[in-house]
Amino acid sequence: MDMFLYVDIDSGLHRLDSRTKLILMFLSFTVAVMFFNILILGCLLILVTSYGASGRILGNLKRIKVVIFMITLFSLAIWSIARPSDSKVFIFSLEGLFYGIMIALKTNTMIISGMIFLSTTKIEEIAEGLVKLKVPYRGAFAFATAIRLVPMIVATSYTIIQAQKSRGLDLDSGNILQKTRKYLPLMIPTFISVIRSTNIFSMALESKGFGYSKNRTNYLNHILDSRDYFMLLLGVLILAAAIVIKTYPGLYDNFVLQFSWSEFSAGYPNWSI
Amino acid sequence: MKEIFTMWKKTKMVVLVALSAGLYAAVLIPFKGFVLIPGITEIRPASALPILFGLLFGPAGAWGAAIGNLIGDFFGSLGIGSIFGFVGNFMFAYVPYKIWTNLGVLKSDDLEPNLKSGKKIMLFVIVSILGAAACALVIAWGLEVLGMVPFAALASIITLNNVIPSIVLGIPLGLILFPRIKKWDLLWTDIVDEEDTLSGGGISRVGGILMTVSILFGLVGGLLAAFGVGQAMFYSGFGAEGEVGSTAVLVIAGIGTAGLIISSFFQTFNKAE
Repeated sequence: MDMFLYVDIDSGLHRLDSRTKLILMFLSFTVAVMFFNILILGCLLILVTSYGASGRILGNLKRIKVVIFMITLFSLAIWSIARPSDSKVFIFSLEGLFYGIMIALKTNTMIISGMIFLSTTKIEEIAEGLVKLKVPYRGAFAFATAIRLVPMIVATSYTIIQAQKSRGLDLDSGNILQKTRKYLPLMIPTFISVIRSTNIFSMALESKGFGYSKNRTNYLNHILDSRDYFMLLLGVLILAAAIVIKTYPGLYDNFVLQFSWSEFSAGYPNWSI
Repeated sequence: MKEIFTMWKKTKMVVLVALSAGLYAAVLIPFKGFVLIPGITEIRPASALPILFGLLFGPAGAWGAAIGNLIGDFFGSLGIGSIFGFVGNFMFAYVPYKIWTNLGVLKSDDLEPNLKSGKKIMLFVIVSILGAAACALVIAWGLEVLGMVPFAALASIITLNNVIPSIVLGIPLGLILFPRIKKWDLLWTDIVDEEDTLSGGGISRVGGILMTVSILFGLVGGLLAAFGVGQAMFYSGFGAEGEVGSTAVLVIAGIGTAGLIISSFFQTFNKAE
């Protein structure tokens, strides 16, 4: 069962250190949060998507297409109806529609940036990166183990469901509420089965020397190389450019004057097209 | 508060972090498609778990809820909100076990969360509401700071979305799970050293009351301040003309959030003392 987004291919993006990819992801979040402008967020989305394309993992967009579609649909629908405007046609407003586009761009950029990180970084690399970023080893271990446990837990619940079906439990009939009421009790054996393994799991870990020494050595040992430094420099330059655009006196105001339909920050004149 | 750090020295607690995070994520993920606010939250029957994890596994349950929520975000909604989601879900499980012990409702020799009396069930409902409210306060305040989602809309949706499963599913689950967890010696108070457990004594009670007041002040005060600047609750909040990121909301909800964290420091006095 492959629940995870990781795409196992060899690309420049895959070879980057997990810390570099994590920092670049947070830089993209920062720039996305800074702006409320359709054009700038559109450029950021193109930039983030191109970054993902360099790792040949955009095929994973198919796996999160429902999420992206729902975000876009919800944003366009709710804001075009709900955002107050002087010029409404029936219940919709053009201003609300543009605002919805801006929110959809902002949210989708962050979601796609997160997807790129997960599509190019293995779980063990994330854990290793966290340890190198000074997250205590036991915390990183719990995090990596929890991720690995998810498919196992889902598989356990699937086995229990199949076992009950084979005993004649009808899970397919009824409306969604009735189905939920039938499925919920089946979760109990899953919980109990998972929690019951705690003692054995702890003994297995301790018998392998878990916690013996604070200074662990790792089989995986990535180091930051010139590609990492180049990408980090590029990311910092983009963030610096975003800060200059936003704060240099008059620069952003002139831009907004030219494209007033794209801007929704507080403190700017009322939206117009 | 020190128990959230000292617990990591116990292998069994590390395993409980991983298992509770895995379970929480495994129940969160199938509902990722039932979106309430795209990229932010969805229908969450899994919200029944953090309260139970907190009461049964203590700090391990709190870390498990935080990590489990982050893993859930990996499946399509990883974004800047995930940082506040991490802290919020930590509080969702952390607040209940603190309040359970330190509010002074139960006698110090009968603190086990076995839900065998009406008093304990009533206290379970109270800690569920406070845990859900603490989670909502942290996330809604964080996203208000970033100017992304109106405080009143998000805080009300998250509180309701967390409270209902916590009570409706949490009580029967607790009744089933507690005897087994107790029998397997997996209650957190049976695992950690005695000096790391909670006493429910005088200063701890002050901390418990301060924590309760902080949560209610932050959430209710924040909502009132948000109404004052034109925001509204639930989905009406998206249609109201309210300003997102207003100083009054940020300050009041911020004081509540800070109080929530500061009050934790009053609640670490142990049985041995």
